[in-house]
Amino acid sequence: MLILHQLQPYPWAVAGVAIGAITLLLLWVTNQRLGISTGFENLCGLVIKAPYFRRSEIAGSNRWRLPFLGGLVLGGFLSAALSGGFAPFWDLGMFDRVIGWGPVGKLAWMFGGGLLIGFGTRMAGGCTSGHGIFGVSNFERASLESMLAFMLAGIATSNLVYRLGGI
Amino acid sequence: MSAWIYALFGAAFGWVLSRSGAADYDFIQGMFLFTNFQLYGIIGCAVLVTAPGLWWLKRHGRTAFGAALAVKPKPRHPGNIVGGVLFGIGWSITGMCPGPILVSLGEGKLYAVGALAGTLAGAALFGVLYERFPSRLRLPALNVGTGDG
Repeated sequence: MLILHQLQPYPWAVAGVAIGAITLLLLWVTNQRLGISTGFENLCGLVIKAPYFRRSEIAGSNRWRLPFLGGLVLGGFLSAALSGGFAPFWDLGMFDRVIGWGPVGKLAWMFGGGLLIGFGTRMAGGCTSGHGIFGVSNFERASLESMLAFMLAGIATSNLVYRLGGI
Repeated sequence: MSAWIYALFGAAFGWVLSRSGAADYDFIQGMFLFTNFQLYGIIGCAVLVTAPGLWWLKRHGRTAFGAALAVKPKPRHPGNIVGGVLFGIGWSITGMCPGPILVSLGEGKLYAVGALAGTLAGAALFGVLYERFPSRLRLPALNVGTGDG
C-alpha cells in the first residue's frame, strides 16, 4: 500500500513498461535524453551566476528541462487530486513507526538527505533516470558504475538506519 | 518543440512514479532492505523495454519528425562513483530520488519541501565549487560537465 491515500500500487511490470515507453517516446518525439537531476542545475542557474551554471548545456536546455520538472510536480498533484483529493500531509510510513520524529525533525532529516542528493547526483552526472534507466539501457559504463554505487550506498544506509539502529 | 509537450511528458512520468511506489518512502526502504521486490521489478522492466527500443531507434537514426537522433553518452570519470555513493545515501535518507522529490511535492507530502531545499542547496554548492575540486577527482572540463540527464 502507498502512503498516498493508502492506494494499491500498479503492478511493477505495468509501471516498468510505462516508464520504458515514456523514455523512448521522449527520445523519439522530442530528441531528448531522459534525465531529471540536471534540471536542478537549470533551477540554480536562474539565480546563481557561477560559470558552471552558465555552460551552454544548461542555458540551452531551460526550455525543455524546466517544463519537464514542472510536469513532474503536476503529475504528483493530479495523482493525489484524482484519488481522494489533494490534502497536504506529513505521514512517512515506517519512519513514523520506527523513528517517529515530528515535522521539524522530518524537514531537517530531508534537508540533510537532499544535500547529498543534489551534490551527489551532480557529481555523478545523473540519477536514477539518466544513469539508471537511460544510461544503463544504452550500456554506458559511466552509468553502470554509478548505478552500482548508488544502489550499494542506499542498501548500506537503509540497513544501518533500520537494522543496526544507527538512529 | 513547445514547452507543453515537455510538461505533458513530465506529468505522465510523474503520475507513474506516484502510483507505482517509486515516490513512496516505504517502497524505497523495502527495496534497500530487500523486503519488497516492487522497485527492482519496475527498474528492471523499464530497462528491459528501453534497451531494445533504444537500440532500434538508434539504428533507425531519426526522430518522429525526421531529425537526426542525438544520443550523447555521458562522460566517464571517478565522480560517477563518488557522487553515486553520496546520492545513494541521500536516496535512502529521504526515500526519494530526484524525480520523486518533485512528484512528492505535487502529492502534498510536506516533508518533500525539505528534500527539495536540500537538493537545490547541494546542487548549488556543487556548481559553485566546481573549479575547486581536487584534480584527483578528474572531473571533466567545466564546459563539458559531469554528464547531463
